Amino acid sequence: MPSIRVPSALRTFTGGNADVETTATTVRDAIADLDRRHPGIAARILDGSGAVKPFIRLFVGADEIGSLAGLDTQLTDRDEMSIVPAIAGGSDRA
Amino acid sequence: MTHAPVRATIVGAGGLGGPIALSLGAAGIELTIFDHDLVELSNLHRQIQFTAVDLGHPKATRLAGLVVSRGGKARGVVAKWRTPSELDGELAEYVAESDLIVDGSDDPETKFAVAGWAVANGRQYVIAAALRYGGNVMAGVPGVACYRCLFEEPADVPSCAEAGVLGPVVGAIGGAAAAIALGIVRGQRGLAGALLAFDDLRSVAEPRILKFAPRPGCPACMRAPISPLATPLRIAEGEPS
Repeated sequence: MPSIRVPSALRTFTGGNADVETTATTVRDAIADLDRRHPGIAARILDGSGAVKPFIRLFVGADEIGSLAGLDTQLTDRDEMSIVPAIAGGSDRA
Repeated sequence: MTHAPVRATIVGAGGLGGPIALSLGAAGIELTIFDHDLVELSNLHRQIQFTAVDLGHPKATRLAGLVVSRGGKARGVVAKWRTPSELDGELAEYVAESDLIVDGSDDPETKFAVAGWAVANGRQYVIAAALRYGGNVMAGVPGVACYRCLFEEPADVPSCAEAGVLGPVVGAIGGAAAAIALGIVRGQRGLAGALLAFDDLRSVAEPRILKFAPRPGCPACMRAPISPLATPLRIAEGEPS
């Protein structure tokens, strides 16, 4: 079954779990499934119109979904979907 | 045959900037190091280039001094910028001759400004970030998808100071950024335009290499030179292995 790689910044929603399995067959449904089990996480990924927030990117395998079929990208049993947010960090300030 | 020295600018002299500067300086790259902070006691657990004697001194000049003490060439610039446009101006003033710019700053707006400046001026660049137990590194060269093709706009994301970072993580991410930077200046562009994501260095050391395409309408790419493909840079004789 497909898995979702959750970034550390969102693992507070998943009880610290980095990987969550899903029965969803598209990226859009995977986010909905994730949110059903971990309420509130979808609002950190999608904006009010249902689009991916501009500082979050979703990948299926090694490819960003923008180069695939967007949120309608199909997931197969062996796929890993990754949620990748922009992060800062390195010094206190620079 | 001796090549002209490669010049690089490093933005941020903290946890990421330290290992980046020491590595690139030791490889013979001439450095300009930008930062506007002073060394504080709370920095020392992860900014291991500094010791108690550095407390209260500018990070940029202290790190540059350390690079020089190890045989490298570096100058520190105690930067003044507070906004991306101010950073743009300072970069133009100080680093017009830099071949490569490496970001190890701690705020997303600076990362966007650095990447935007590099793209607009046809420079190669590396953006590094670390948070909690992991981080990511992106290398950019003219003609490939840029940082802003990936993340469209700066986010209100937590910094290390706010969310914390495991001390060794910045060393690991900074080291990876330095290695990729050295690869780029040697003309190795296999990772350009991809994001290396290190999820949790406590358990998995190998990054995932994530690919993305140029984004139509990307405001950074629209500022890029018309003929952006640059000649690969060469570092001086005695290239690092």
